[in-house]
Formats: sequence, C-alpha cells, structure tokens
Amino acid sequence: VTFFVDPELLRLMLTMAAPLVLAGLGELIMERSGLLNVGVEGMMAVAAAGAFLTMLKTGSLTVAAATAVVAGIALALLLALYAVALASSQLTVGLSIFVLGTGLASLLYRVVIGVTTVTPTTRTLPSLAIPGLAGLPFFGTVLFTQNALVYLALLLVPALAGSLVLTPLGLRLRAAGENPRALDTVGVDVRVLRYGAAAVGGALIGLAGAYLPLAVTGAYSDGMIGGRGWLALMVVIFGRWQPGWALVGALLFAYTEALQFKLALVTKAIPPQVLLMLPYVVAIVVLVRLYRGAEPPRALGQPYRRESRL
Amino acid sequence: MTAAARRRLADATKYIVAGAVAAVAGALVITLMGGDVLSAYRSFLWSSLGTAGGFAQTLNKMCPLLLGGLAVGVARRAGYFNIGVDGQIYAGAIAATGVALALERTATPALAVLVVAVGVIGGGLFAAIPGALRAWWSVNEIFVTVMLNFVAAFLTEYLTTGPWNDVMAGEAITRLIPDAATLPMLSVRAGSHVGIFVALAMAGVVWLLIERTRWGFEVRALGDNARAARVAGIPTARITFAVLIASGALAGLAGAIEVTALHHRLILGLTPGYGVMAILIAVLGQSRPVGILVVSFAMAVLLVGSDSLQRSIGLPASAALVFQALIVLSVLFVDARRTVRPS
Repeated sequence: VTFFVDPELLRLMLTMAAPLVLAGLGELIMERSGLLNVGVEGMMAVAAAGAFLTMLKTGSLTVAAATAVVAGIALALLLALYAVALASSQLTVGLSIFVLGTGLASLLYRVVIGVTTVTPTTRTLPSLAIPGLAGLPFFGTVLFTQNALVYLALLLVPALAGSLVLTPLGLRLRAAGENPRALDTVGVDVRVLRYGAAAVGGALIGLAGAYLPLAVTGAYSDGMIGGRGWLALMVVIFGRWQPGWALVGALLFAYTEALQFKLALVTKAIPPQVLLMLPYVVAIVVLVRLYRGAEPPRALGQPYRRESRL
Repeated sequence: MTAAARRRLADATKYIVAGAVAAVAGALVITLMGGDVLSAYRSFLWSSLGTAGGFAQTLNKMCPLLLGGLAVGVARRAGYFNIGVDGQIYAGAIAATGVALALERTATPALAVLVVAVGVIGGGLFAAIPGALRAWWSVNEIFVTVMLNFVAAFLTEYLTTGPWNDVMAGEAITRLIPDAATLPMLSVRAGSHVGIFVALAMAGVVWLLIERTRWGFEVRALGDNARAARVAGIPTARITFAVLIASGALAGLAGAIEVTALHHRLILGLTPGYGVMAILIAVLGQSRPVGILVVSFAMAVLLVGSDSLQRSIGLPASAALVFQALIVLSVLFVDARRTVRPS
C-alpha cells in the first residue's frame, strides 16, 4: 500500500496534474461561455514550442511564459472568430486548429533551431519550498515543494469556482453558455463575453503548454503534449463543468501518469512501451463512465444568432 | 447565370482563395528559410508532377491519404469524427506484418492477399472499440480514437524495437516480410506501386455503399438527423458500430498497403500523420468520395512538393501540415461568409 501513496509519487502526481488543471480550467471557461474548443492539443503544442524557443533566446522564464500565453490567446481568439462571427462548426474549426497547432509547433522549432544532433535544453522552473509548511511530514513533500505554476494552478481552482458562482461576471459567463438569448435580452453582449472567455481560456491553455518545457523537460520535442490537451477536455466533462471536480479528474489522470513513471523505475519485466500506454488505456476506461449523467452547458457549441427565431 | 452555375463559380473561388492563402504562407516560410520563392515553387511542381519518378511518388502518397480520407468521410456521413485513423493504420500494419512474418516459412498461396485482408480486419477490429463504446455506451468517439492512437503508436514502437526488430538495422523497424507477401509494383523504374488502384477502387466501393445501398441510406439518415433516424426504426446503434468498423477497415487497408507495397516491413513512423491530414481531406472533400479523391491528390502533390523543398532549402516536413490546415481554415472562412451574409 505504501507503494501507491508514497509521498514522492503523490508529489509527482501534483507536478503532472498542473498542466491538466491549467488547460482544463481554460477549456472550462470557454465551454461555460458556450465555446467548444477541441483544438487544445494543438494550442498547447504551439505554446510549448513558443515558450521553449523564447526561453532559449532570452533566458527569461517570465518572457517565455508570456509568449506561450500570447500564443494561446491568439489561437483561442481565432477559434472564437469562426465560432462567434462566422457561426462555423466549432468541431471542424477546432480540429483544424488542432492540426494547425501540431504542424506550426514543429515548424517553428525547425525554422529556429534547424537540424541538430544535440537537442538544446534550458533550465527549468525551480521548485519553491513554502517556508514553514515545506517541513511538514508527508504534506510538506507532496504539496509545499512544488514549482510556482503548480501553486498557481491549485489556487486558480477555488478562485474560478468562486467567481463563477459569486460574481456578476461569472453569472453572465454561465448564462452565455446556458441561455445566450436571455443574456442578450438584458442587454449584455454575448459576443463580447465569448471573445473574453476565449482570451482568458486561451491564456490558461497557453500556460499549460508552456508548463511542459519550462517546468518539466527543459527541452522541446514534437508530440511532447502527448494527448494532454485531449485529457484536458475529458477533465472538464469529468468535472461536470465544475472547477473543483475538474481538479479531481486532473489528479486521477496525473496519478496514472506518475504511477507509470514509478513502475518503469522499479520493474524491468514489463516493456516500457506497455507502461506508457497505461494512462491512455485508463483514460478510455474512465471515459466509459464519464458520460453517465453529464449535462454540458445547453448552448455549448452553438453559435448565437441574434436575428434567428426562437 | 443560373443558380447552379453561380454556386459552382463560388465553389471555384473558394478553393482559389484557399490555394492563394497557402501559396502566400508558403512564400513567407520559404523566404524565412532563405530560399528563392519562384524557383522553389517551380521545383515544388516539377518534383511532384513533372517527372515520372515524382508523379509515382505523388501516387504512392495519395494512396494512404485517399484511403484515410475515405475512412474519415464514411464516419462523418453517419455524423461521427474518426480522429484515430493513424492508430488504425498502425493496427492494420501490425496485423499484416504479424501474419506475413508468421507465415514466412510456409508456402501459402496468395499470401499477399491474405496479409492485406488481415490488415483490413486489424484496422476494423481496432475501430470496433470506439464503435461499440459509441453505439452502446454513448462514449464520444473522438476521445476514444485519439487515445487509441497513442496506444497503437506505443505498440508499434514495442514491436519494431522488441520482438520483431531487425537486429541488423539498428532502427525501429521490423524484419522484411517475405516476397510472397508483397504487392507488385506498377512501374519499377518510376517506383509506383499498385496501392493507388486499390485506393481508387475503394473510393468506388464506398460511393456505391453509401449512395446506392439501403445500408448507406441508413448511414446518411443517421448522420443527417440521428433522432429522426431512430424514430424511423433505423437500428442506429448497429449502424454506428458498423460504420466505425468500416472506417477503421479502410484505414487498416492503408496500413497494410504501406507495409506490403511500400516499406515491405513495419516501421515506426509508418504514418507521418496521414490520419490527421485525412480529417482535413474529408472536411475539404465534404465527405464525398469524389471530393476526397480530388483533395487527396492535391494534398499528395503538396506533400511530395514540400518534401523536395525539404531536400533543397530545408523546409521542415511539418510545413505541409500547416499549409493544409490554412487551406481548410480559408475554405471554412469563405464558406461561413457565404452563409452568414446571403447575397
């Protein structure tokens, strides 16, 4: 039993959960406003490449993260442009952005780096021990010696949950996803809200993409997002569009990933590729239960046409 | 001008706009890479269409793109998105290679036919997972197919580096399959194989199935309005299951052909994202076999042309993916403008 609740394992779980939480919350904000964004994987890829290249050129983690945020916002606004102004199929546009992002990330990297035999690397985000708390037994290791983005991701969960329920803006955002016409009737511009949600959501997704090269690997490789963008979408459904439950979903997926790392270290009997499959197989198993009773925002994926009849 | 003619003209404009956007983006990237735009475009067209060898390359690339496009297109006609064509290509390739290697020492008649058939079954079975989950558990097929892509890729990595590895090669590739399991070349000198004819035949088969059979009618009914189809007594769960299997089988065929006709072995990286391109091809081809046929040819030209620029000015292979996505986004843009503001 101690093998499965080992503090180092749980610490790794939180480290790997952060990108899922960040991207999941970003997607959650967009979906709550009625925008379905299936391009998360591609957006995270561009953000990862952008962040890494900026880090390599400037050496500043802040500038690198900012680049990723800008990239995330740009692609999310592109999706919103099609979804809001052009009333396109959000699924089709989202998939196109997924492809565009996947290609663009690799293209950017190759154009800047070229073909090299040595993979360039950068330093990564340092872990930040919280004074007074880091010394705690068990929790100190698991929770309070993480990097800054893990703390940010964890703090964003209650912040977003609170603002969705308690603030007027949160109410409007939810209304944009549930009943945009009602919102329009009381004089709130649905389009502005959805563009706003896309910008904020895109920023978080961008940050999630930056997380992998900046906080984990210190390097970029094609396909490094490894399906985490798609997992972020599942995390939102898992969480029933609630930030708190989305965090639980992110922790679940991150736990299987961390467990797979640990198993790879202790056993040689199972081929590493079989272990690497584990998170994806678990995701499919989770999916089977995921849809029971899931109720997405009622206007999710639907363009709002002011002139259309009821 | 009649309404039909006007629509056709608008369609043509749409693709010209999309092509122009991609061409401008291409020029931008080529300039960034320090190449000369005009000569780059000349070598782009020359390498893919101008020589027998280049044209053969284009046909070889068109084969998996056409089959993949058909795979996505068939599922889309029933209202589903199969994002897992890459995984199903691997599944087909793995199944085909497995049989070919297992029967290496036995003189099996028509081994190649058997091997390709097993590849088709492999792709179909792999897609049966999202098919069953969608049909009877209402699990979104997009997520399942995406996750299975990773599973298939890791399985391929395991097989090509582990049990089936060609020890002499020092790469993630398997041993060569026996000659009896390979498909013939179309032209040995140009280097084209018969796969393109198989793919073209499948385009015809898909058209017949979807447009001219009762089953196809039920598939279309499901895609047009799932609720109405159910009310009308169409067995929607069974159709869903079958259509995703058919989709996977087409992808599996593509994988089997890549193994038996092109590489003669299973390699890691067998599909450099054909499945992802297939999504775009199906969208651009409006999920119709004829449309998919035309678009997959154009995309094959784009791939082979970009490939030559990779050799001459170092244009990364991923550039082709970006151009393709830009073309789709441009077409969607023009399409949407037309529906938002009817003249």
